[in-house]
Amino acid sequence: MTIQREQLEADVLIVGAGPAGLGCALHLANLITKHNASGAKPELSPENIYVLEKGREVGAHQLSGAILDPRGLRELVPDFEKTAPLDTRVTNDGVYYLSESRAWKLPITPPPLANHGNYIVSLNKIVKWLGGLVEKEGVNVFTQFAGKELIYEGQGIAGVLTEDKGVDKNGKPKENFTPGYELRAKVTVLSEGTHGSLTKEMVNRLKLDGLNPQVYGIGVKELWEAQPGRIETGFVAHTMGWPLGSDMYGGGWVYGMRDNRVSLGSVVALEYANPEFDPHEAFQKFKTHPFVRRILEGGKLVRYGAKTLPYGGWYSMPRSYVDGALIIGDSASLLNAQRLKGIHTAIKSGMLAAETILEALKAGDTSAKTLKLYKEKIDQSYIKEELWKVRNFHQAFHGGLWKGMVHAALQYITGGRGLVDPMRSEAGYKDYAKRNGNGTLVDQSTRFKGDGKLTFDRLTDVFHSGTRHEEDQPSHLKVRDLDICSSRCVEEYGNPCQYFCPAAVYEMVKEGDGSKLKINAANCVHCKPCDIADPYQIIDWTVPEGGGGPSYDGM
Amino acid sequence: MKLLVITEQRQGKWNNTSFETLAAAQQIAAATSGTVSAAVVGKSVAALAEQLATKDVAEVLLVEHELLESYTPDGYCTGLKQVIEAATPDLVLFPHTYQVRDFAPALAAMLGKGMVGDCVGFRNEGGKLVFVRQMFQGKTAADVTFTGAAPWFASFQSGAFRADLLTAHRSGKAPVNAAKVELKAEDIRTKPLELFQEAKSAVDLTQSPVIVAIGRGIKARENIAQAEALAKALGGEIAATRPICDEGWLPLERQIGSSGQTVAPKLYLALGISGAIQHVVGMKGSRTIVAVNKDQHAPIFEIADYGIVADIFEVMPALTAELQKTKG
Repeated sequence: MTIQREQLEADVLIVGAGPAGLGCALHLANLITKHNASGAKPELSPENIYVLEKGREVGAHQLSGAILDPRGLRELVPDFEKTAPLDTRVTNDGVYYLSESRAWKLPITPPPLANHGNYIVSLNKIVKWLGGLVEKEGVNVFTQFAGKELIYEGQGIAGVLTEDKGVDKNGKPKENFTPGYELRAKVTVLSEGTHGSLTKEMVNRLKLDGLNPQVYGIGVKELWEAQPGRIETGFVAHTMGWPLGSDMYGGGWVYGMRDNRVSLGSVVALEYANPEFDPHEAFQKFKTHPFVRRILEGGKLVRYGAKTLPYGGWYSMPRSYVDGALIIGDSASLLNAQRLKGIHTAIKSGMLAAETILEALKAGDTSAKTLKLYKEKIDQSYIKEELWKVRNFHQAFHGGLWKGMVHAALQYITGGRGLVDPMRSEAGYKDYAKRNGNGTLVDQSTRFKGDGKLTFDRLTDVFHSGTRHEEDQPSHLKVRDLDICSSRCVEEYGNPCQYFCPAAVYEMVKEGDGSKLKINAANCVHCKPCDIADPYQIIDWTVPEGGGGPSYDGM
Repeated sequence: MKLLVITEQRQGKWNNTSFETLAAAQQIAAATSGTVSAAVVGKSVAALAEQLATKDVAEVLLVEHELLESYTPDGYCTGLKQVIEAATPDLVLFPHTYQVRDFAPALAAMLGKGMVGDCVGFRNEGGKLVFVRQMFQGKTAADVTFTGAAPWFASFQSGAFRADLLTAHRSGKAPVNAAKVELKAEDIRTKPLELFQEAKSAVDLTQSPVIVAIGRGIKARENIAQAEALAKALGGEIAATRPICDEGWLPLERQIGSSGQTVAPKLYLALGISGAIQHVVGMKGSRTIVAVNKDQHAPIFEIADYGIVADIFEVMPALTAELQKTKG
């Protein structure tokens, strides 16, 4: 069936309402207002900026620790301290090394992890608030609409198709079928966050890869309401060590927020050897450490969520401009892996994109030639200043925690150069050790179940993520060759998808004498390790019908 | 401006959006000093035409033909094309119904015209008609206008105009004129069968006093019959957890839980259900919960009033047999 799509034309189309996308929209709207007030031509309008957001509402898919370095936000909204829903200032800041039963506080907090002057925030709340500011400027924010496909023209991008709504499990239109829109824009801004599905395709198709492939961590988070007096508001702890071995890169966090709320979680780089490693279970174990347990005991789980984050940094940056399109924020690998912060750089990149776009619209030229200005602005900004210093940081830990510390220290005193520069890296899935399987399924009934009070199984946690999808729709998780799952993968890796997915989406079930992969797509919290860490790279995470996904209130 | 409203009836019963569209047409006519005609299409629909004639219209066109008794896209397109060519309206309006969605774009295309569908309003901008239609699920509204020569085609969304604002004919009645249409049976490629009576939602689990629910423990599709037999013996309905409905073993409407129905029957018999919270939220209000599961640690036992740690394949037939015995 050929579908006739409605066509709309915008000046600027921003895909993803996160800190980067909204930062871009708000700054551009402000710049346009100034531009129009000066009487300069051509007259522009914030109404010709469209923002697409697949979540039920702005902020619904935002998840982070989060400690906010206010630098970016201060530039975007100078009086943010008066109006933004900041939770609390960081008042007590420490790094801890955990053994199974003890915690040692490092005598000094390593400077990159010092958080004086920063805020503990809920990214969900911050982004919701930013969304309000953006809409007030007249920008069109379309929630529950996802960018499904890019419109390629020549060597660049001409816009986006949104997803078709009302398609049943078998791909047939239902009564409420509504074809997606064909949104054409002079500039399309990809601000999809970590491992964006459109960004991934564009980077592959237009060959925009950086020097290193992108590498990711998977973060698993819970928000708790603790008994009063268990944790001080403004308390920040970052942990290394248990339950992760020193061959794994990652750590935990515990933040004390207002009203006895506790944000806690753990992050692990998706480049480990054991294909049966389960990041969700590791995080559950982390909560049983006395250091964490005494804070949570008697408290209540409020929310759960998971998300990947791009660790690769400067050397994993794709080329971020093409004819008619820019890549910003996490999608452009702008997270500082050493400080574990990317909100400020995301906002800043959105603002630099906005400045570039204004120039391009004024000049009537949105080709790569003009949009290249964005990259030049990044190079001159504090984004590069920060990322360049840590350009080899994450790669240094590939040989384990202790070697990494030595490298990192040398890098620190040499402005990021260290012993090898550039340090190369490989995609994380190549690190799996093959198991000597005999083609039989690993029994899943012994998987971690939790005690139902402090620790939980994955399904209970998914319930607390508020995840909902329209049930009668095609699976948005596409596996290109299901035979590999039930044959080679069973034998070689024992189906790691059953372990790395923190939402119990992937499940091997018996079928006759063999097995098959069952995809519980409705559980998906949109975190994407499946698309990243599958050893055969045959899983494609695509967008489900708009509005589906988690509901990260307060996360 | 000459307006023509194509009304919709089925088996002699109005689709009431027709009157909303007629009201819209009257308002457009008032704004453009135009006239409104209305057409009624079918076989033996003269009585309906008489009803339309009591409204404030210049003329009612009675479009009758043997082959228009049942709706077919070919019949309607071919017939209405002739009506439009003879009546030469500037603007043809439809109620935005499923049937209109089916044939009206094709009809417009046959005449080489475009169509603006699903409008919610209009404006007269200095003699130029602008139609308003919603986009992005009502988040924004688009103004659309026609560029080519008349006739133009548009349809109005149900509820966009108020049928009670329809004005009656000033002097009693408008003339009803038969419109000539020629249709041949071979023009019509579809064969309408008997009208499909939409089944009432086959099952309303919320009304059932007894529910027998199955989970993954049922293992295979062919085992569901055993649970169904038990449900029948108990006079209850069969229901399931998501994995079962996901597999397509039972329809979605029988799914209990956060993504399905919420029920509170007198008796809830949970067979081979582990008790994931997603399921429990949909049934925890049941008066009496009986759970059967092999795994004594299954969380379902925490909320069950009675628990049987056993294989459901032993319990189901035994229970069914006992129930049948007591019933005699």
